[in-house]
Amino acid sequence: MGVLETLRGNYAKELLDKGIREDMRGMHDFRKIDVKRGVIEHAEGSAQVDIGNTRVLAGIKLMVDEPMPDTPDQGNLVMNAELLPMASADYETGPPSPESIELARVVDRGIRAGPSIDLPSLLIEEGKCWTVFVDVYVLNYAGNLFDASQMAAMAALLDTKIPKYEDGNAIREESSGKLKVDKIVASTTFGKIGSALLLDMNKYEESVAECRLTIATDGSSVRAMQKGLSGSFSVREVDEMAGISLEKYKELKDIIESTGE
Amino acid sequence: MASLTNRPELLKDGKRLDGRAFNELRPIKIEAGILKNADGSAYLEWGNNKVLAAIYGPKEAVPKHFADPAKAIIKCRYSMAPFSGLSDHGRSGPNRRATEISKVTKEVFENVVLLNEFPGGEIDIFIEILQSDGGTRAAGITAASVALANAGIHMRDIVYAVSAGRIGEHVVLDVNMIEDNYSDADMPMAISPRNGDVLLLQMDGGFTREQLNEAMGMVLEAGKTISKVQREALQKLYEVGE
Amino acid sequence: MREILFPGDVISDRPIRMPNATIANGVTVATTLAMKESGKDHIVPLTGPWVPKAGDPVIGIVSATRGNMSEVDLSFFGRGLILYSKDSRDSKFAPGAAVEATVKNVENRKDVILAFPTPLEGGIIVNVKPTKVPRIIGKANTMIDQIAKLTRCKIAVGRNGMIWIDGGNVALAIAAITKVEREAHTHGLTDRIREMLEKGFIE
Repeated sequence: MGVLETLRGNYAKELLDKGIREDMRGMHDFRKIDVKRGVIEHAEGSAQVDIGNTRVLAGIKLMVDEPMPDTPDQGNLVMNAELLPMASADYETGPPSPESIELARVVDRGIRAGPSIDLPSLLIEEGKCWTVFVDVYVLNYAGNLFDASQMAAMAALLDTKIPKYEDGNAIREESSGKLKVDKIVASTTFGKIGSALLLDMNKYEESVAECRLTIATDGSSVRAMQKGLSGSFSVREVDEMAGISLEKYKELKDIIESTGE
Repeated sequence: MASLTNRPELLKDGKRLDGRAFNELRPIKIEAGILKNADGSAYLEWGNNKVLAAIYGPKEAVPKHFADPAKAIIKCRYSMAPFSGLSDHGRSGPNRRATEISKVTKEVFENVVLLNEFPGGEIDIFIEILQSDGGTRAAGITAASVALANAGIHMRDIVYAVSAGRIGEHVVLDVNMIEDNYSDADMPMAISPRNGDVLLLQMDGGFTREQLNEAMGMVLEAGKTISKVQREALQKLYEVGE
Repeated sequence: MREILFPGDVISDRPIRMPNATIANGVTVATTLAMKESGKDHIVPLTGPWVPKAGDPVIGIVSATRGNMSEVDLSFFGRGLILYSKDSRDSKFAPGAAVEATVKNVENRKDVILAFPTPLEGGIIVNVKPTKVPRIIGKANTMIDQIAKLTRCKIAVGRNGMIWIDGGNVALAIAAITKVEREAHTHGLTDRIREMLEKGFIE
């Protein structure tokens, strides 16, 4: 984070002490969210999600593979996230950063815990299954990558067609139907700044957040959580955020399900 | 170049598989200035290629021992998304092929950017191939030129790039993926349209001297169309409207 | 008549030394996207980095102070320099301090020597494209005065694209400045900005 972000972050913090958000939003309001599906035709599924100026693209590829030795009767899900150097002056080229690995793992956990994808249905025959590769590409960073990435991955899964299987090969010109998505999981990421708990932090707010909590729910249960940064929450705060997250589910589910047309 | 044994027919009724004439470009669309954080950016669709290019800079060169006190340095990263191709999931991050393309792309822009204006500075060029259908390095260079102009990096020209190839006895322009896989020659070129200087030239396959000249002629002719699309994308940002 | 020039476009078939242009094979060509009024020789860049010149007001943030010198980050590939005279008793700026200053002279294109540095207390700084700064200021300061008045903010604009804002409705001031930056080339902007500020509406 540069000095300018910090300066603006400190200003955001001062305002929050008075109960006002830097960009005038309500504490639990998201910025404008846009979801576009099917943006990469070569992928089996894809979606681009904008939350304010944050832009994330998820692309999905299916490959004929062998099941993992410890799960011989199901397919595989492989999640990866890239913080592209074009997305921010602060991102660098090189091997995956701990931040990008955490991002991929948190998105992965929500989708697995749903469970959103019925992995056993991805078994083709004994010793053959589909591996679903989900690649999340961060194209522009402006805060709240966790929710943007989760929504992009979820929307891309909803867009995914399974190629035809023939003699151990994927025939991508033909489809054997859509990937079955059993359950939509929606993620909400809170930040704590002073005594304020706010949803969908922009990059200035993130620069001064003491701690962060990502909660993925299916509307009735909490499915996955991840606390980040070195600050702390009280148990009461966690409960409060879980409540807000469950309440937000419907609104986010509708956005994830929209086809962007 | 793939083996010729199971090569599909690349020509039908005197036309190419996608219906194009030998000297016809695929449709090209460019949108400039679409990424908020970058100093300049462009999104390009060229046939089924989808490419993002972004520029950061001029900024202070890092690490400092990389800096050249007399001029700016250019760093370039060309990379292909693992979901960009029609086949299996690709590997993330730049491989050897991408590293070579990054290098020759950097050299293209070192020619046209006025590096002396930014001593000790650095200009970063990022090219991300989101969907690939043959000719991605040419598409990347064409997009990066627009992104550089969008960033206002001082340069002598807006470079374009396109490839020419050969199918049997026919020289063809703008080779697509399937043609690239099975054609008899492929030659990507980057050109400075102001003076016709060749800034990138790679080739494999086989051309007679006559075919080579025909191919270069097609590349130069195609510049009129490509440059027009590049300029229109930039001009659109400054159209006077309400 | 105004026309847009692109990098590589010929401005004159004679060699003329001028900003935002270069001489190639005896002719003068534009090196950046620029606007040219017919009949006029010079061109006005539409985009691009700040090219510092003596007299430019700037905003910056002190990045380091050692010996008799402070380095100032001006959101630019080079650096600003505040030079303290040897026997000066003036207090030196601490790293992180925001300052307003005037460019005294430029060495080797990248060392920007600053004069009259004054501290800016509190507030925030936003970055805009340096080529949009004249529009943000407006003819005879009309635009920036209007934004300051209707948001009750104190605003200082640097030619380098850094703008300092303090007090008042900062969010609204940022929104207005961003809108001017985005729509700099359109007609009737001053009126549209006034409308927006009076409504207090953020897009």
